Amino acid sequence: MLFNTTQFFLFLVVVLVLFYTAPRAWRKYILLGASYYFYASWNAKFIALLLTLTAIDYCAGLWLERVAPGPRRKAVLIFSLAANLGFLGFFKYYNFLAANLALALGRPPHSLFLEIVLPLGISFHTFQSMSYVVDVYRGQQPAVRNPVDYALFICFFPQLVAGPIVRARNFFRDLWAWQPPSPDDVARGVFLIALGLTKKMAFADQFAKVANGYFSAVAAHPGALAAWSGVFAFALQIYFDFSGYTDMAIGMAKLLGFHFPINFQRPYLAASVTDFWRRWHISLSSWLRDYLYIPLGGSRGGRWLTYRNLMLTMLLGGLWHGASWNFLIWGGYQGALLSIERALRGGRPLAGDDWDWTYPFRALATFVLALIGWVFFRAADLRQSVQVLAQMFGGSGGHVLLEPWHFGLAALALILAIGEEKWEWFERAIRAPMPVYAAALAVMLFCLEVFGVLDAAIPFIYFQF
Amino acid sequence: MTVAHSVRRPLGAVILAVAGLFALDALVFRTGFYTRILETESTTGVFERILLREQQAQPWYGRNLVVTLGDSRFAYYPRVANQQTATTGLAFRHAGVAGTDVRAWYYMLRDLDPTRERYRAIVLGVDDYDDEDGAYDIGDDLATLHYTAARLRFSDVIPFTLSFDDRHARWEAFRGSLLKGIVFQRDILAFLSHPQKRLANVARDDGGYEEWTYGYNAPDSNVVGLKIDWSTFTAVIPPGNAELADHINRFILYRPKPQTGKRAAFRRKWFGQLLDRYRGTPTKVVFMRLPRGPIPRPDNLVRKLSSSIREFSSRPGVLLSDEHAFESLETPELFKDGFHLNNAGCARFSVMMAQEVAKLLR
Repeated sequence: MLFNTTQFFLFLVVVLVLFYTAPRAWRKYILLGASYYFYASWNAKFIALLLTLTAIDYCAGLWLERVAPGPRRKAVLIFSLAANLGFLGFFKYYNFLAANLALALGRPPHSLFLEIVLPLGISFHTFQSMSYVVDVYRGQQPAVRNPVDYALFICFFPQLVAGPIVRARNFFRDLWAWQPPSPDDVARGVFLIALGLTKKMAFADQFAKVANGYFSAVAAHPGALAAWSGVFAFALQIYFDFSGYTDMAIGMAKLLGFHFPINFQRPYLAASVTDFWRRWHISLSSWLRDYLYIPLGGSRGGRWLTYRNLMLTMLLGGLWHGASWNFLIWGGYQGALLSIERALRGGRPLAGDDWDWTYPFRALATFVLALIGWVFFRAADLRQSVQVLAQMFGGSGGHVLLEPWHFGLAALALILAIGEEKWEWFERAIRAPMPVYAAALAVMLFCLEVFGVLDAAIPFIYFQF
Repeated sequence: MTVAHSVRRPLGAVILAVAGLFALDALVFRTGFYTRILETESTTGVFERILLREQQAQPWYGRNLVVTLGDSRFAYYPRVANQQTATTGLAFRHAGVAGTDVRAWYYMLRDLDPTRERYRAIVLGVDDYDDEDGAYDIGDDLATLHYTAARLRFSDVIPFTLSFDDRHARWEAFRGSLLKGIVFQRDILAFLSHPQKRLANVARDDGGYEEWTYGYNAPDSNVVGLKIDWSTFTAVIPPGNAELADHINRFILYRPKPQTGKRAAFRRKWFGQLLDRYRGTPTKVVFMRLPRGPIPRPDNLVRKLSSSIREFSSRPGVLLSDEHAFESLETPELFKDGFHLNNAGCARFSVMMAQEVAKLLR
């Protein structure tokens, strides 16, 4: 059940009607049932896995609260983290490790493979679950007593399969002191759903056709122009795809009275790599910062330790996306860029927000660096990554794979992004008098009609993680 | 604060936005604003251009105007047919569009002849009077949506949708007839890519479409050498004619299929609707079996379960031309491929067709 299908919208309407017509005490049960139904519609078998992890971390939370600080408490934490990482490792990384082990032993790469199907959203819900257990361990979050509450935290359908990764304290604040959404919440929720749908179907999917065409047959599209345009198409696809999904998730949560954190803040307007990571997949970046980078020592241990911590954090962040050398290199590349940038900047504060005359150059350089990184993210394997990079930097000529209207679409997106960044256009539209708000919605619907890819169900990219 | 209170404003806005969407769609696609700049060679573009050409041509002719409708197989030269006017007393105009069927002709005629009195006769060219289910299901052919997109009105949405059997086709027909931007999407994207080129194409066709089409000549090529063995369903194709081989294999050399009756139902519905429109008017409707091909399928391979067209002939004002009137044209010398007459074929057919229609209308 993809978010951009009629089937999903029918499901959402039924959930909203049931939720608001049921007595208040029943509502979380309705959400829980709907969330498991949503998950089961993908693959019912993995409900058992979801329940197992939920049960382990629910019990771990209660246990941690009862055990006094000391080795036993630490052991509980380690048990919970090991369970989460164990499941994640088995489903996501077993075959990767097995292939590399087989190669090291001189055996065929597939000789140790298992037929493993990756459970949908496992990277997201395990990270969410682990953050809860760590927060309880740190004393920053009381253990949740009600198993239904905890299960809902893990499987709440708007963010179950691709985030944003919600912190326990925020979720339970909304759940335990649930308030009906305000008119502003509903207006914002509806707006975000329409915006997300437009981003996904009218922008991401149009660019996806080009990017998929290029990466499925790189050799058939030789030349630097083809390579740059194929990678450019992917850069726009992944942004609109993932941020569109997130907008819809945040919007749906708002309609149900929950407030999710912002996950994207116009990342391609970033004027430095550091700034980019403050704007891209914010819920993951902040998770990595709080549960990995800072525990590793953050920037407290001097220059070289900071670089090491940045590298380790980004390498693991890369690996979180998928089990392949490509993701590891992508993470390493980002870590290296962050370290280099930090070294060049010295002690000076980040200049990302200054819109002076240098801004377009800095933003363009950051975007180009992001494009190079996306090659590793998108290419099927390391060989293809090298092939694409060789074309980008050493290829001659070739054909631009994008039509002029693609550039028009990109320019429109850029104008809207700058408008939102500098003058909060979307925010103003949400708060504007009803006719203006309705006109903004109508324009989005018209964009969907005229530009939306309606006949090809292109899955959300982050559903594979 | 209640949920109802919170929902009131956004719900009102959503209703307003949906209304705004329909208003925008109507403004751009139902006013003729976008139709004027459609790609001239696209399905909708060709359909619209022919419709416009025929509307503009109507005042040039008198009361004895005959309009012909059909697909690409109805290939004749109106200029040659009109050379017979002295003997036939008729003027011919062709509003046929390649790839269309009677469902599209219905919408074409509705806008071409809104008062139902413009034509002395309407000639409908068909491949056969028997309702044999052919190589594909014509009833679910979504090409009609693309041909007629600019003609469909809000009142057509439901009947047009329900005229398709397949659920997927119905959904596409529904959304496309309701929101035309969906149908025109590819055209719009192409226009946005090269607006100047498009406008130049449109201006070029605005200037010379009538002359170009009225003076058009089909190619002189033929398919001499084509032989079909109906006992083994194999064909000998003249060398170097891959397109002909494809035509023959896909659309002619198919073995008789179990008859579903879908074609009969489709014809009853749409020819019936078209005839109902002209019931009680002075306009005659003529059915005409066209030259079928260089080597037509033999009679024993045609399933003659029903003939809706013959049934219609009992209605007042409905005429059937002689089924065998053009069989003399069905030779490889007069066809350029598996279905279409060549230059010599078109020329001969134009004269014969004009005389046949005149004979029927006398």
